[in-house]
Amino acid sequence: MTTILQLANVNAGYGDAHVLDGISLSLKQGEILAMVGANGAGKTTLLSTIAGLTDCTQGEIAFEGESIRGCAPHEIVARGIVLVPEGGRLFPFMTVRENLELGAYASKARAKMGQSMEAVLDLFPKLGTRMNQLAGSLSGGERTMCAIARGVMSCPKLLMLDEPSLGLSPLMVETVFDLVKKLSASTGIPMILVEQNIGDALEMAHTGAVLEHGRIVRLMPASELLNDSSVQSAYLGL
Amino acid sequence: MTTQVLSKPQQKARLRLGPIALIVLLALISAGLIALWSGDPYALNILTYTFLFAGLAGAWNIIGGYGGQFSLGHGAFFGLGAYIVGSLYFNQQATPLLTLLPAAAVAAVISVLISWPTFRLKGPFFAIATMAINEVFYALANYFDDLTGGPAGLAIPFKPAWENLIFVDRSSYALLMLGYMVLVLLATHIFTNCRTGHYLVAVREDEEAAAAIGINVTWTKCVAMALSAALTAFGGGLFAMYIRMIDPPTVFTLAETGVKFALLALIGGAGTLFGPMVGAVAIVPLETYLRGYLSDYRPGMTLIVVGAVMILAALFLKHGIVGALRKHFGSQP
Amino acid sequence: MTPILQGKQLVKRFAGLTAVDGVDIAVQAGEILALIGPNGAGKSTLFNLLTGQHQPTSGEVLFEGASVNALPPHRRARLGMGRTFQIAKPFLGLTALENATLGALQKHASPKVARDKAYHSLVSVGLHGKMDTPAHLLTLSDRRRLEVARALATEPKVILLDEVMAGLNATEIDRALDLFKTLNQQGMTFIVIEHNLKVVRTLAHRTVVLDHGAHLASGTPNEVLNNEAVVRAYIGGRAK
Repeated sequence: MTTILQLANVNAGYGDAHVLDGISLSLKQGEILAMVGANGAGKTTLLSTIAGLTDCTQGEIAFEGESIRGCAPHEIVARGIVLVPEGGRLFPFMTVRENLELGAYASKARAKMGQSMEAVLDLFPKLGTRMNQLAGSLSGGERTMCAIARGVMSCPKLLMLDEPSLGLSPLMVETVFDLVKKLSASTGIPMILVEQNIGDALEMAHTGAVLEHGRIVRLMPASELLNDSSVQSAYLGL
Repeated sequence: MTTQVLSKPQQKARLRLGPIALIVLLALISAGLIALWSGDPYALNILTYTFLFAGLAGAWNIIGGYGGQFSLGHGAFFGLGAYIVGSLYFNQQATPLLTLLPAAAVAAVISVLISWPTFRLKGPFFAIATMAINEVFYALANYFDDLTGGPAGLAIPFKPAWENLIFVDRSSYALLMLGYMVLVLLATHIFTNCRTGHYLVAVREDEEAAAAIGINVTWTKCVAMALSAALTAFGGGLFAMYIRMIDPPTVFTLAETGVKFALLALIGGAGTLFGPMVGAVAIVPLETYLRGYLSDYRPGMTLIVVGAVMILAALFLKHGIVGALRKHFGSQP
Repeated sequence: MTPILQGKQLVKRFAGLTAVDGVDIAVQAGEILALIGPNGAGKSTLFNLLTGQHQPTSGEVLFEGASVNALPPHRRARLGMGRTFQIAKPFLGLTALENATLGALQKHASPKVARDKAYHSLVSVGLHGKMDTPAHLLTLSDRRRLEVARALATEPKVILLDEVMAGLNATEIDRALDLFKTLNQQGMTFIVIEHNLKVVRTLAHRTVVLDHGAHLASGTPNEVLNNEAVVRAYIGGRAK
């Protein structure tokens, strides 16, 4: 399995605030990496650094063998790295259809819009009934699904999901995680998943990473991490 | 859980003079002393206008800066104050010392009556409504000519006496306007440190969240507006006795009054104590000087230069001069 | 005993959508009531009806036995209702301490005294270390904590919390649970909207379940979470 994403000793932050400290990790085709950690540990910052939204002050980020450090966010999207941000961030005054269409904004994705739309509606049939509804009027679970669907419309080669289970009922969390599993199995798109819902996230992922104060303190197969005693006490309250 | 003796949060001494305010104050004082000593009428005129507009911008700042209610029509209260004080003096020889406060009170009441319905308008629509009201006052001043002298205005006779607030030497006017500026600064300081003043900032930030913690949003805005209008009208009254020639265009022209008060405060730093003063110091001398220097050269040139300065300020000084300096020095002026 | 806060047959319709459909809800003084249900069930709308952000299409809201339908949100807040919002709205341009101070000013007119009380509210949620940080620089979960601190600073009799645990890890949740239990022992009444079932089980005395705007079930957390209809509509296979 080829390595698609590689981070080597990455430091990143906002202005003077140093958030990430020497991050190194790699991601293979078809892999799901679950990233867990306390609030403020830098999980969202890590995703936004890969997406080009936060400055990488040191280290190297390589995607498909090419360095993407310093690239503008829209260039990074054009290469196929797609971020579904925390809360989804849909355009509330646009319809579901318009939000999905905007997901395919980059020219390569735009060419495939028809196919993508079909594939997306296949994966998320519930969205099909809501196409003309304003995104702001969707319920929480529908919003998350729409946001992930919009991400898929961008024809991603790497999909990053920031806390998809946030604010969802237990039933919805199950639905969303099942969908993510299905997506990974059918398309093989590698994913990075940031989650507070650690039990579910580690059950679904191949690899697990623990982020603490901007550093990766654990990086191992997800099933092993789930059984790691320090993780159990710190994050699962066991 | 152990009880710890926790340190009390530091009380911010709001009137502590940070480096910026200190520099500006020193500059003002030196300029003032030089002007006063030289007796040069031109310099004193600039000084007088600088203090006056610092006060007027400061008055606007209460509702516009701290309150976030973007009024561009404060000229209505300025003119109201000028006309009340001016025409009572003109028609009844009433001394301004007795009419300034009532004029301020009238402006306060009228401002609340006008704003109560208009406060429900959002942002730009509120601004437009205030401008419309300014224009209404302009028209009313033209119309009720037995009270206001109509389009010809009121020419207030020159009878120097301190009870008339008419002076022979310009330095007295400069000191009077300095007193006005200090009054506005004090009023701002006291108001923003009382409970309603704090509530006003919450209202500016988020009205719904403010209501959820028990703040009466409309009442808070009305109190701030009343204070702002009262201080503006007070300045208008002083202005009438300085310029002694008031007509509708002089006191109600938007670009010279309402819009200007807002712009000076914004350039200096809206929502800060010394911002309006800094804005007045930055713009008024420049504008007055340019008006004298350039208008022989090419009429309207002043407006172009000042307009350009204001555009540059909007582009590069988003939080005004005070905001930019705060960011740089990290201190609290 | 008269409930401290009560909603009688509350209905709320928005242009064609019935968000709340004839719901009765009552909480006794000193009780912790959990309000649960799928997204879009009408929970936050119900909160808005109770605290006054929305007027009911029909039905009545009573506080300490007296109708408050005619009272706007700020009056209800002053009677003793505090709340947080689903999407936290601290005053972003102000520091954490300034935020909490604004809450404390409701009961303490002197800004100095209010500031001291506000500091203690920040301590109780663990934000005192960031008291001079502007709210827009705080993380999402810190903003939520700040909103709680600001609401607590108003010294409410009843506090309505809308998904305050979302995004917190287990340690942070435990700390919050400790705080709420302590406040409850001191007499504060709680209505909490929550998706975290562990929180519901640990904290709530009673639970009400809403689905599609209507009352689905109520009772103790155990009764409700084992109710078949609730499991089907809300919990799914992984009841934790």
